[in-house]
Formats: sequence, C-alpha cells, structure tokens
Amino acid sequence: MIRSGWLVALSLLVSAAAIVIYTQFLHVAAVRNNPEGYVAAFAIAATIASIAVALGRRWYAWTTLVVVLVLLLGSATFNFVLARIPEAHTTLRVGEQPPDFTLTDADGRPVSLAEYRGKKPVVLVFYRGYW
Amino acid sequence: MGELQGLGAALSEAEKAGVEIIAVSPDPNVRSHEMAQRLRLAYRFVADSDLAVTRRYGLVHARGGEHGEDVPTPTTVVLDRDGAVRWLWIADNFQVRPDPDDVLQAVRAL
Repeated sequence: MIRSGWLVALSLLVSAAAIVIYTQFLHVAAVRNNPEGYVAAFAIAATIASIAVALGRRWYAWTTLVVVLVLLLGSATFNFVLARIPEAHTTLRVGEQPPDFTLTDADGRPVSLAEYRGKKPVVLVFYRGYW
Repeated sequence: MGELQGLGAALSEAEKAGVEIIAVSPDPNVRSHEMAQRLRLAYRFVADSDLAVTRRYGLVHARGGEHGEDVPTPTTVVLDRDGAVRWLWIADNFQVRPDPDDVLQAVRAL
C-alpha cells in the first residue's frame, strides 16, 4: 500500500523540480518557450497531494496540498493571464520592406535599415530590456 | 536577459555568415551596451527611447510594463538582402522568445 508520506514527498519534489528547472534553465529555449510546463508540473503535484490527503488525512498532507494549490493557481494566473500580450497590430508584412528608420547606437552612431539594403541580411530584434 | 543569452550563442554563428543583428529597445544605450559586452554579443544595440519606431511598426504593448508604461512586444524579424521581411515572430506571452535555431534556420534559408 502506498503511504501518504511518500506521496507528500513526491508532490513536493515535483514542485521543487519545476521551480529549479524554470529558474535555472531559462536560457534553454525548450524551457523558456514552454512555460505551461511549470503549470502542468504544479497540477501533477496537486493531484499527488490530493491522493496523499485521501489516503491519510495528516496535517502535512493537507499543508502540502494547500501549498501546491497556491503554486498552481499563482503560476496559472501568471502564465495564462498576466504574461499574455494582446495581439500586436503590426505593420510588418512578410515579403514587404518595412519603413526605414535611423536610430543611434551606444557610440552615438546612426544606424539605419537603408545602409544594409542590397548588402546584408538583417535580424531585427525588438526587446524590452532585462526581461 | 536569458533571451539574449540564448539568442547570442546561435546568432554569433549567424553573424559569421554575414548577417547584421540590430537590437532595438527603449533601454538607454549605455545599459544595452554594457549588457552586450557582458554577454559578448555581436549586436548593434540601438535606442528607441520614445518607442517611435516600435510604434510605427505596430509593435507596442500598451501599458505592458512593470509600472504600466508602454513597452515593445518582443519581436524578431529576418530581413533579406533587399530589406524585405522574410521571417516574422511576434510574442503573445512575454515569457516566450523565438527558438534561436528557428531564427538561424530563417537566416540560412535566405
């Protein structure tokens, strides 16, 4: 028979693994680009904790269930609501030339798209600083 | 920052292939420059402080910032030698970035 204590440990282990993987391996594209992964891990951990509570209504099983449910709700809200970006109404069209721009780089030199036209392909990255 | 780190590894290879990588951000240039040096990235960081270009390209995420300010929608665009868009990736979740391998593949396909 499966002991409640083992399931509690497993539930906490799954939750901890999700946190460690997401925070420590954010530079791995597969981790960064599948944030639903941590939500799924917390859902699995919550299911395991529920079984632990059903098997033996111990205080530590209840505590684990509450903690894991908070993680599940928090992470789901963050990923599916707070982190969503409304659809951008971009003027960029595949096959078309975007309007030219001139902006300055860190050394104060102007950089424009036109200077690369006919010479070099360009990868343009719009990013928001540290995130 | 993880974004540029991840991208950096693949894109330094792309750079060898003769591609210019231009990173546009409202971040002050100096900060971006420091970041480039720290991560040893071969980017040209340019500042779009008032988001004028980002706005003209329709890539502003209104009030999406930490303090309710407008921020860019994370976007990666591959332009061919003639300046035409060949590949376009726009984020719908601010945690997600294009897979560097996909960007590299788009560059190689030019």
